[in-house]
Amino acid sequence: MISVFVGLMLRAVVVLTGAALATFALLWHAPGDPALAIAEARYGQNVSKEVLDFIRAEAGFEDGFWTAFWAWLAPLMQGDFGQSSVNGRDVWPDLVTAMSYTFPLALVSLALGLAVSVPLALIATRRPGSWLDRGAVALASVGVAIPAFWLGLLLILLFAVQLGWLPAMGAETTTHSILPAMTLGFGVAASLTRIIRSGILEARGQPFLPAFTRRGVARRDVARDHIAPHAAVPVVTVLGLELAFLLEGLVVVEVIFARPGLGSFLVNAIFARDFPKVQAVVLLAAVIFVLVNLAIDMIYRSLDPRVSGRDA
Amino acid sequence: MRSVYVLITVCALLAMFGPMLAPHDPTAINIPNRLQPPGGKWLLGTDALGRDILSRLLHGARWSLGLAFVVSLLGLIIGTTIGLIAAQGGRVADWIAMRATDPFLAFPELIAAVVIAGVLGASTASLIFALTVTGWMRYARVARGIGLSVSNRGYVVQARLAGLSPLAIACWHYLPSLLPSLTVVWTGMLARAILGISTLGFLGFGVQPPMPEWGTMLLDARIHMRSTPLQMILPGLCVVIAVLAINLAGDALRDALAVQDAKT
Repeated sequence: MISVFVGLMLRAVVVLTGAALATFALLWHAPGDPALAIAEARYGQNVSKEVLDFIRAEAGFEDGFWTAFWAWLAPLMQGDFGQSSVNGRDVWPDLVTAMSYTFPLALVSLALGLAVSVPLALIATRRPGSWLDRGAVALASVGVAIPAFWLGLLLILLFAVQLGWLPAMGAETTTHSILPAMTLGFGVAASLTRIIRSGILEARGQPFLPAFTRRGVARRDVARDHIAPHAAVPVVTVLGLELAFLLEGLVVVEVIFARPGLGSFLVNAIFARDFPKVQAVVLLAAVIFVLVNLAIDMIYRSLDPRVSGRDA
Repeated sequence: MRSVYVLITVCALLAMFGPMLAPHDPTAINIPNRLQPPGGKWLLGTDALGRDILSRLLHGARWSLGLAFVVSLLGLIIGTTIGLIAAQGGRVADWIAMRATDPFLAFPELIAAVVIAGVLGASTASLIFALTVTGWMRYARVARGIGLSVSNRGYVVQARLAGLSPLAIACWHYLPSLLPSLTVVWTGMLARAILGISTLGFLGFGVQPPMPEWGTMLLDARIHMRSTPLQMILPGLCVVIAVLAINLAGDALRDALAVQDAKT
């Protein structure tokens, strides 16, 4: 188990280095002179050549790609995300503020999605093929086809514009989070319902189950001890994809509902061509994603005895 | 089941011939007739610049669906090539190819696409580049997995011993066994590409105005949501119908081709 963990950690380091390199290479090749962008952001139009040279030397632009990459990476490994090229402020505190808006919303949406999809899948699979089951499948199929930005706008139209019950923009109070959480939770619920449903159905078809029921083991005990763990394996496997889906939805939802979270932070930074901020968000998202996938991998291995110990 | 194929055919035909059915020029600005309600000369009304919404939706099919087709096909070609190289090229090639896909798999594709398209400057070319770069890994994984599983079958070994070149073996012996799975993966990626293109369009990093891509149209319609909600609702509905049709067709194909391992 420990050697597997070390192996996964090593792979995570390789992945993160690759992500950092890819991001830096992308920004390095971005159109326009990055030094000019920084100078204009700091000092306005008509910057002198001396200022440009100073900025180039400061950021290591003159000495080629690898020197500049190292000039960025070395402080980063000590936790220094650098300064915004637009207002010169440290990136990290702003990033923390943005996270404080994003993480609670993500967790609530995930919880909402689970709270809807698990009971729905359980009810649907009581009688496969019944109208209830078909209804759940149809709802889930339509649900995964709805883009988050459209659903968010429809909810604003209904609950904020027509009914006037809920605020649409901002993040001042808890009520501001209801519509964003509904938007994200709906998408999570739709895709999870499909996966949990097919997981349960597959587990139900396992040949060892009649051995328990015919021996007189209570149905509830069979469901808890044998069907649930079996159905959990495919669900845990796709949780990583689910998280990716959630992060993608967050970007859009934060933009629509004008929430100052990580998604808005990223989109605004791209529009302002504030590359230190872009790099910081991308790397942060990669770290989160790698860590969560690491956790999922470990859970998966402990759930399925066939893969534990094997380097998949 | 048959209705799914009818729906998908209608979508494909609309993407190809929709623009010919458009009653007006989708980009012709007509300020005196802005924000007209549906009916009369403008069947679905006009937008904030007086452009006919029906014509824009019909032309939008070519942008949204056509670009998604291009992007998913490029991903298919690149991904399959890399996957087959990994499966055939020995352990070193396999290791390099799979470690190269790791960082891409380690990141939410759409966010990566937003960053790439945004940093390179919003245009259709950067949109295609961004979605292709972030959209080939699943093909590569599937192609490699199946490629490795057939590499020891009798007919492949025999072909190798008979002196067939690796390229010939890839074309004549690997590809036929890959096709069912790749087709199913492709439908999934096509649906994702449509969502990706409209999302990027909506965020302002995709197809640029005045071109009538559905996501871009939604971005325009957003500020007039209170007065003319229909022009915001319709482009989104088009995306939902297209994605739903493709997803259902993918499910039907998976059952018909008995594909087990292409769920990722």
